[in-house]
Amino acid sequence: MALLLGLGAAALITAAWFYARTAADEAYDRLLLGAAFQMSENLTVQDGVIKFDLPASAFELLGLADSDRIFYRVVTPDGKTLTGYNDLDTGVDLTAHQSQPVIGNSTYRGVDLRHVTVSRVLTQKSGVVWAHVIVAQTLESRRALAAELTTRATILVAIMCLLALAGSAIAVRYSLHPVDRLGRVLARREPQDLTPLDLDVPRELTPFVDSINRFITRLSERMTLMQRYIADSAHQIRTPLTALNAQVSLIDDEKLAPADRRHMERVRRRASELSRFTNQLLNHAMVIHRFDSVQLAPVKLNDVARKAFRAAVPMTVDPDLVVSFEASPEELMVTGDELSLREAIVNIIDNALRHGAKGRLDVKVGRDGDNGFVEVSDDGPGIPPEEWGNVVKRFYSSRSEDQVSGLGFAIAAEVALALNGRIGFREKTEERPFAIHIALPLIEGGQA
Amino acid sequence: MIRRLVTGITFSLVAALPALAIEGAREVFPAPGPQAGRLVIHGATDLETMRPLILDFQQVATGVTVEFVDYVTNDLYRQAEKACAGEAESGDILLSSAVDQLVRLANDGCAQPHRSAETLTVADWANWRDEVFGFTFEPVVFVYDKRAVPVEDVPKSHEDLADLLRLKPTVYSGRIGTYDIEASGVGYLLAFYDARHAPTAYGRLIEGLSRIDTVTRCCNSEVLGEIASGRVRLAYNVLGSYAYRAASENPDLGIVVPNDYALVLSRGAMIPKDAEHPQIGKEFMNYLLSPRGREVARQKAFFFDDGKPLPPGVEGPEALMESGVGRPIRIGPALLAAQDESQRSSFIANWKHLVSGE
Repeated sequence: MALLLGLGAAALITAAWFYARTAADEAYDRLLLGAAFQMSENLTVQDGVIKFDLPASAFELLGLADSDRIFYRVVTPDGKTLTGYNDLDTGVDLTAHQSQPVIGNSTYRGVDLRHVTVSRVLTQKSGVVWAHVIVAQTLESRRALAAELTTRATILVAIMCLLALAGSAIAVRYSLHPVDRLGRVLARREPQDLTPLDLDVPRELTPFVDSINRFITRLSERMTLMQRYIADSAHQIRTPLTALNAQVSLIDDEKLAPADRRHMERVRRRASELSRFTNQLLNHAMVIHRFDSVQLAPVKLNDVARKAFRAAVPMTVDPDLVVSFEASPEELMVTGDELSLREAIVNIIDNALRHGAKGRLDVKVGRDGDNGFVEVSDDGPGIPPEEWGNVVKRFYSSRSEDQVSGLGFAIAAEVALALNGRIGFREKTEERPFAIHIALPLIEGGQA
Repeated sequence: MIRRLVTGITFSLVAALPALAIEGAREVFPAPGPQAGRLVIHGATDLETMRPLILDFQQVATGVTVEFVDYVTNDLYRQAEKACAGEAESGDILLSSAVDQLVRLANDGCAQPHRSAETLTVADWANWRDEVFGFTFEPVVFVYDKRAVPVEDVPKSHEDLADLLRLKPTVYSGRIGTYDIEASGVGYLLAFYDARHAPTAYGRLIEGLSRIDTVTRCCNSEVLGEIASGRVRLAYNVLGSYAYRAASENPDLGIVVPNDYALVLSRGAMIPKDAEHPQIGKEFMNYLLSPRGREVARQKAFFFDDGKPLPPGVEGPEALMESGVGRPIRIGPALLAAQDESQRSSFIANWKHLVSGE
């Protein structure tokens, strides 16, 4: 932009200089011509002799260019200098009649001159003859005028350039303002919000916004497809698995050879493991996709934990196991997705039942400052602290000899993270059992 | 003038110095302090007039020895022309009442420009190209002998003078003096401007002068001398400064600034391009144009000053310039017309034919 302006300014200034010179030349050439004509008017023939009466007014006219030196020469028809500077030569042929004044540049006594030669026809006895008047002027006034005009033009051009620069800067900033706004709107959007943008933008930006909206629409459609696919998959895989489990349970172990019975037991275990793992995998996918697509809403922590507790503890639980659920005395509200959160708690309880609890499992909902928490404690051996970081990773099992553990803690941890909460562990001590809790920030005010 | 100068020299401290130049008298003013420089003035200006200015300048520039060489205007011009062509020694500053000659020299490229705080104060009409400056303000006046000219005859204007010559030719025959415009550059310049400013009055005046056997002298001082001696009763086109100086010494002289128009001459100063000590020349120029120099000039040298009332004893219009009576001779290219050879020779021939009857 600046380069373009610079080039333009240079071109303009050059043009201004050129015009200024032409204008100065024209203005002062008129003075020169006027003076030469006045002088040639004063050439007369008296008694056959050419007389010249130098008009002071011609010099006064030339004196309007008040800093210029003046040279002149009056030449008679026979080529003699009647008066003036007799070595003033402008290169004009003085033996011929010039019908038009001849204007040109020359150098005389080491200075540059602008000169004009005017011919005047005189009638003598011998016939028609012509005399010449040469008037020349130094160039100082012309140069001064040209310089002044150029300087003024330069100042104007400079001002214009500055205005153009400032104007375009403001224009660019102003016209990019909606882009800025669009960027902010996009950045502020909830990740689940896949509705098209509704934003007032200048016409130039509408294609851009339209593209974004088309993309959002396609993404949204794709998400819907994906969810449908997950739901279908869950259904499609769970049904044959249930059937498989049923079939396996129908096999009569008594009729099997001892070796086959052992194999059968492994098949049964693996099938149930597969069933659980599939459930977890689908739950995990569901949880992730729910967070991508479902709007979060206030959730009552007590209710969610109770539902999870009921879902996780089977009716057929070992009667020797003492289970308890302790709700919080106050109603704790957190922002979340009820289904995902329930799934997370179910996974924690399930894990405790499966790997920890020997005789006791307690689920407690409580408040710790600004956070609400659901704590699951059991009297099992617990998880040693050095494993805490690993168990929340997918497909990690602290007991490698045991079944492939799965996604239980990973799901719980991801849900906690997605809801700005965290999952925590408490070491087993003499007085207190091992506990895992999931803590979530309470909604402002804390209670419904 | 030369006679007067020689007298002046005998009174001066350096009277013993021989006059070195044949062109004119020469006087050296040694530096009052330790000598640090030398200033050579070529002047077509009465030395007695310049003396107070030179002495006061030396109070400011105590290290400068001033050498003043006196010329008549035409000699000064020829000398400067030669110097410009490299054929003669150049002065450091030229002072001349014939400003047209200085303008011609500047036009021919013989001057060097000078700009300073002082030159900026010079009126527009008294500065050409920053090369030629007018440093005085001298109305051109009539001088008459109070003993011989009755009050009713004293002319107040150029018309009055022409009428006087027409009505009383016998009384004033051989009793009117003026410049010999062939011998005096400034005389020619004044006559030329008279002819331009008031062609009719000038025509009548010349016609009157032609009838009465006019006395012409090379210089103002000689014309004034003729009045003092009683031979001439009335002088026309005398520079006010010379007239006032003479009148202050001789109470019989009366001065009239004409009230129809009065030419105002500003004596010119110029630094030649080949000046040996141009810096000192410029210093002196600055001094002449400075308030101090102007004040000394008004009190001791030229007596008249732009914007100041006429000196006591001078008859004429009060506000010379404001009333439009004063017609300054503009220092500029128009003066080149006066310097044109054919113009000059035909004008002088015409004048001589009428005034001197040749």
